[in-house]
Amino acid sequence: MTAVDPALRPDAPGLASPAWGGFDPARTRGRGWIDIRHSFVTAVRLGWKMEANWTDPLLFFIYSVAKPLASALILVVMLDVISGGAKPEYRAFVVVGSALWSFVLSGMSGLAWMILDDRERYRMLKYLYVSPSDFLAVMFGRGVARIGVGAMGASITLAVGVVFLRVPFEIGRIDWPLLLAVMTLGLTSILAIGLLLAAICMQTRQESWSYPEAAAGALFLISGVVFPLSVLPLPVQSLGLLTPLTWWVEGIRHALFPGGVTAIGGPGSLYTRLSGAPSPTSGEIVVVLLATGAVATLAAVAVFRSSDRRAKDRGLLDQTTGS
Amino acid sequence: MTARGDAGRRTVDAPGRNAFVYRPTASPQEAANWTPRQVAMTNFRTVLGRAYPRVSGLFREKSWVFFEILLPFLATSAFVFVYRALEAPPQYIGFVVLGGAMTAFWLNVIWMMAQQLWWEKSQGNLELYFAAPMHIMAVLFGMAFGGFVMSSTRAAAVLVVATAVYGVSFSVDQWALLIGVFLLTLAALYGLGMMLASLFLMWGREAWHLTQLLVEPVYFVSGLNFPIARLGVLGSVAISILPLAVGLDAMRQLAFAGSAYPAGTPAPAIEAGILVAMVVVFIVLSRWTLAILERRARSEGRLSVRWQ
Repeated sequence: MTAVDPALRPDAPGLASPAWGGFDPARTRGRGWIDIRHSFVTAVRLGWKMEANWTDPLLFFIYSVAKPLASALILVVMLDVISGGAKPEYRAFVVVGSALWSFVLSGMSGLAWMILDDRERYRMLKYLYVSPSDFLAVMFGRGVARIGVGAMGASITLAVGVVFLRVPFEIGRIDWPLLLAVMTLGLTSILAIGLLLAAICMQTRQESWSYPEAAAGALFLISGVVFPLSVLPLPVQSLGLLTPLTWWVEGIRHALFPGGVTAIGGPGSLYTRLSGAPSPTSGEIVVVLLATGAVATLAAVAVFRSSDRRAKDRGLLDQTTGS
Repeated sequence: MTARGDAGRRTVDAPGRNAFVYRPTASPQEAANWTPRQVAMTNFRTVLGRAYPRVSGLFREKSWVFFEILLPFLATSAFVFVYRALEAPPQYIGFVVLGGAMTAFWLNVIWMMAQQLWWEKSQGNLELYFAAPMHIMAVLFGMAFGGFVMSSTRAAAVLVVATAVYGVSFSVDQWALLIGVFLLTLAALYGLGMMLASLFLMWGREAWHLTQLLVEPVYFVSGLNFPIARLGVLGSVAISILPLAVGLDAMRQLAFAGSAYPAGTPAPAIEAGILVAMVVVFIVLSRWTLAILERRARSEGRLSVRWQ
């Protein structure tokens, strides 16, 4: 007979009945926020290891930076081909836009691919569900890890833009409170959109891996990331103004490059037609970002809860589709 | 009745032959020595068999219409609007549209050629490929042929839709050369894909990440949205090693013949010659790397490692 690990014995401390001999319901309830925080931190660590430990740090760094940097360089060369370097303010516009977009791509794909990775590839989704961890905390933890990778790419792209691409930048002019506010609200909105996509991916199959990129591609077009919204038809501009990402990118531009090119306002823009102002103020940006972000977050949570119930009902959590 | 047609028909006048026995033999050792025709036909059927799911998938999984046309169209549209915001000459819109159509082939090459063997490994099919009595190059050719059909429909759809929506006008003087360059570009691209597929045999999760790495950086050095001559030395290097770069540059010169085009890249006929060289080099290299890496993957036990 093999020896039993003392820690696993039924009468081991923590597993045995309470001293008074009855059933302690507190054990089934867990420890509330302490457990959620523990699950979240563990998921962040796991997510980071999954993202980063496939190679050595140097290659991982190159991988994280190459994608956003190449996207920015494509736009910078396009700009130079046409303007011959005569529009430095547009250079800042496209560098900031493409750098920030790596947050969006990583945040949106992080949550959706977490579902797909764990269901289709590693086949662990059902085990995550039956574990005592809060599933949303685990999902957000994994998503935050991927956003960390996106943040690294965005920071280096901005740094390369300032140092090598002559983007006009003065650290003393940064509006720090605005930057902090819009970054917090913007990242929350990105995670909300990611949650929405994760809810959709839980129901779908085959082409689901493309959904985050498809959604990001559509939002890229209407969010004023690399060109002002005023070049779009008015109905498309109105869609862009309803998206929190538009206001997030505009807010970051306001904070980092006060007085720079606006994506929302300007001649021919819907915003200027409606408000009469050339561009939105910092206060307007924060308020609209808060409102649109709150709507996106509430909608994402509602859709996720509904998708979660349906997935359990239809047995989708352990259904692999060979994708 | 002659012994032509499939194996089942041969049993009529050739006793001992059926779908499982190609020719009556005296011993298992003799049966294992296939005739050249038997080898060629098996490999030919392998090419068709591997291409089949990609072609038939076009009709079975309709969602590709949404994702594979809309997604490149949206990406192309974003760059069109960038040029419109900059008030660029109209031919630049055409450059972007042509580049957007060609992305369908590049994405197919890296995701469904280069990475395919890694996917097969993850799904447990790769060991079956190697255990089957066929040459793995036939599998790669089948993947390439199926991918070519699949991507052509997508690229054509993006080209037609974007041309109509953004009013692009092409001006072609040398149709034969344009079609020749296009076909050579595809042959070189899929040759590169076959070579990458054999390299990816060795990798686990790296394959996924490195495929991601081959998207935007390659778009940049290939001059997907701008004339590659603007990249100077980097552009010249790209033209000498990347089929997408050289093919796209030649096609732009040929499809917008009357437009002002930045000097600095070779003439289309020379670029067609570069593509011919690339086709030969990539296919020979893919054969060579496949042989080496297959042996190495076998010895290191990597062919059946899943979820790595």
